[in-house]
Amino acid sequence: MPRASAPTRRAPSSQLAPPAVRQPSPAPLLPQALLERLLSVAMERGGDFAEVYVERTHSTSVVLEESRIKSAQTGLVQGVGVRVISGGKVGYAFSDDWDEPALLRAASTAAMIAQGQGSERAFPVSRVAVPSHYRVPTPLSDVEVSLKASLLTRADQAARAFDSRVTQVNGGYVDQTRRIAVANTEGRYSEDTQDLCRMSIQVVAQGKKNERRTGSYGGGGRVPFTHWATFPPEDVGREAARQAVATIGAVDCAAGPQTVVLAPGWSGILLHEAVGHGLEADFIRKGTSLFAGKLGQKVASELVTVIDDGTVSSGRGSINIDDEGTPGERKVLIENGVLKGYLYDSLNAKLMGQRSTGSGRRESFRHLPIPRMTNTFLAPGNHHPDDILKEVKRGLYCATFGGGQVDISNGNFVFEVSEAYQIEDGKLGRPVKNAILIGVGPEAMKNVSRVGNDPQPDPGMGVCGKNGQSMPVGVGLPTVRIDNVTVGGTQVG
Amino acid sequence: MDYQKLAKKIVQRAVKKGARQAEAFLEVSRQSKVSVREGQIEDLTQSTSKGVGLRVVVKDRLGFAFTSDFEPSGLDLLVDQALKLAEAAAPNKLNGLPGVKELGRFGDTGELYDPAVASLPGDWKVKAALEMEKAGRDEDSRVTTFNAVGAGDFVSEVYVASSEGMTGGYSGTYVYLYALPVAAAEGQLQKGYWLDYKRFLSDLASPESIGREATRRAVRMLGAKRVKTQQVPVLFDPLVTASFMSGVARAASGNAVHQQASMLASLQGKRLASEHVTLVDNGLLPRGLATAPFDGEGVPTRRTPIIDRGVMSNFLYDAFTARKAKARPTGNAKRGYSALPSIGTSNLYLEAGTTPPEQLIREVDRGFYVTSLLGHGANPVTGELSAGANGLWIENGELTHAVQEVTVAGNVLKMLQDMDGVGNDLQFRSGTVGAPTVRFRQLTLSGE
Repeated sequence: MPRASAPTRRAPSSQLAPPAVRQPSPAPLLPQALLERLLSVAMERGGDFAEVYVERTHSTSVVLEESRIKSAQTGLVQGVGVRVISGGKVGYAFSDDWDEPALLRAASTAAMIAQGQGSERAFPVSRVAVPSHYRVPTPLSDVEVSLKASLLTRADQAARAFDSRVTQVNGGYVDQTRRIAVANTEGRYSEDTQDLCRMSIQVVAQGKKNERRTGSYGGGGRVPFTHWATFPPEDVGREAARQAVATIGAVDCAAGPQTVVLAPGWSGILLHEAVGHGLEADFIRKGTSLFAGKLGQKVASELVTVIDDGTVSSGRGSINIDDEGTPGERKVLIENGVLKGYLYDSLNAKLMGQRSTGSGRRESFRHLPIPRMTNTFLAPGNHHPDDILKEVKRGLYCATFGGGQVDISNGNFVFEVSEAYQIEDGKLGRPVKNAILIGVGPEAMKNVSRVGNDPQPDPGMGVCGKNGQSMPVGVGLPTVRIDNVTVGGTQVG
Repeated sequence: MDYQKLAKKIVQRAVKKGARQAEAFLEVSRQSKVSVREGQIEDLTQSTSKGVGLRVVVKDRLGFAFTSDFEPSGLDLLVDQALKLAEAAAPNKLNGLPGVKELGRFGDTGELYDPAVASLPGDWKVKAALEMEKAGRDEDSRVTTFNAVGAGDFVSEVYVASSEGMTGGYSGTYVYLYALPVAAAEGQLQKGYWLDYKRFLSDLASPESIGREATRRAVRMLGAKRVKTQQVPVLFDPLVTASFMSGVARAASGNAVHQQASMLASLQGKRLASEHVTLVDNGLLPRGLATAPFDGEGVPTRRTPIIDRGVMSNFLYDAFTARKAKARPTGNAKRGYSALPSIGTSNLYLEAGTTPPEQLIREVDRGFYVTSLLGHGANPVTGELSAGANGLWIENGELTHAVQEVTVAGNVLKMLQDMDGVGNDLQFRSGTVGAPTVRFRQLTLSGE
């Protein structure tokens, strides 16, 4: 059975450690008095709520090409965003100047969304302790760049040594140490440090007659640099090479409905696209998602329980606090096929009479927070993965995935399969190329007929895009069988 | 602040501290945008941004750092960081900034800056967004809600200075309108999407026309259903063609070609498509959104045909890759201040044909007119394309019912050969990539 060979060391989502409470770190990003002053200015026209968001992000990026480090770079981005809410209206201004006049200017610009009279009220804040779902004792920004570069060199060598048909290896390593502070007129002031790293390797292998195949693998998370001792870059390189080589000689994919079996782990993108986005509260409030108004209704097979969990230890999508200062949470979205809840940021929660689920995230101070997923999992079932495969007479085994996309209104989602095999009489057959799955979220989820007992998180490489904002997310899934899925391909009849 | 001077100063400091070559790329921008909902402002955002990226070369070693902190201490740190990274980097003889030969004279860009956009009052954007929302609702009562309706503008300045004699800057303006209505009928929701994005206010479509067209695109998708798996002629509307052509251009990156990691790698000079297919990258396109006198490393921009009357003619290069591949840079180094240059397109477009799109449809007995694709598009290495598709079914030359939950699949090289119609409706709808309607003789459609 083709499987990702790299070991994963993170606990599955169902095993939760009680969150430890960390003492706030002593040096604030901005003096508390200045935060309070900005809140006061932001409310000078009588808004209902104001918030100051401060961010300082150190980042590193290394690129490998043709067995050489092509470039290594570091950078610093810092800025402050001020948000004022008045009725349902939002005023937002941000600045990457940290001098006081520039920050005060941003606060009064945001204040203009409210039309009321000026008043000089004080808005004192006090520091709130935050949970600790990730521990990175040495910030990634303090690790020597040459150590980061050597990860790529090692992965490159392992990928090339894997098979002589490997012709090209490209790699990238990125990390960031992101400090945020959020203070609001409800008196809450929280800070968090969010380290995050990721490496990725792309391989091209060449078959006969100029046939080229590609493979891609990576990993990371909110982990210390020592992560790479237990998740060796050699494994990343070999897995990317394995995918490329394994698909040499792949045959055209048959077009039309088929039974599909999804490999565990990264296939969790299916949930992210087919279900997750449609449950984000902005789409629900506006009535643009086909899941709007369906709370309590059956929207999936009873084998399906979907959880969004921001508290997974060291998870790529984990957050101690979201970008509005609300602690990250574990939320059951669908339980045994029944829709249980949506993902709320504070604004949509307020407008809908709900509470925030800690889902208000933003790419940076340049963006407004919107409801987002964190780590999205399908809870394990009872079936052994080998049995799931054995029962399928004819179908498609989807081993690895490129990515996916969804139209949240008509519910159409796609799921790009980068490594797939024909299933014949319960066994894996020849590799197929250029396959994609398409479906309508709830219909596809109703066709889930087997859920494996082998839950697996992805290795930590997911990036989700929404409204022009990119966000690190995690996904996870056990082996799953879905019946009657439309498979896109070139072969007819 | 004189940013041109500041960029030069940063370069001088880097050279003084030991860089053999140095280059500063500095960006300053301000933006303002508004979105509305149900006749009210939903949100209003205003901001200023700035940042500078510093590239240095020391003994064939490359270092790069960026910052948004323009305080003297922040800029000192920037120089130190870049030099430190260069010291730790592996040497590569190909490293180096564009020299006198590559820099050369800038072409004529025409105007890039519209004072009317730079001074556009906030009220104009609020009014425009409200007009779009109202027009969208007036057009058809089945529009029940909007995902978003909004307007915005953006003013930016770019400055580049280098130790190799590059010095230059330009300012540009951008203004945009967008509407994403959702129509509902019989339990089905369908979204529409229409927008316009221009440098000059006078080029921008009217808010009313954007709102109405967005609604028409949502409403016509109502009642969408799957069709049978089959091979039929397929048309792409201009938006879909633009994303398809972006995929072709990705494979024309000189770097991918040099690495033999492109479907186009060995095809220079070969015929890819019929005579009526010409795909151009043009950094000097009058009033184009990506038009600029020089690219991200100061190399003059130009017009580069990628596919010229059906023949694979040119790949796109930045200075580093050109040196590596023994080619000439084409002025296609793309970047923001926070990244090193990498190869990308400027204004990319498929030249218009002579056939009206209506006629391309009329000539089809049974076929599929695609209005949106789901997925990431073609694999630039293998050329394989498999994507979700929404659109309208063609029967006897007429658009009939809406289609969803199907995929189209093929190979890009085969699709280029099979392109048997190019419309006369070239438009730059979504920004820097423009295309007309096109027709493919046959693609595999996967459905029921």
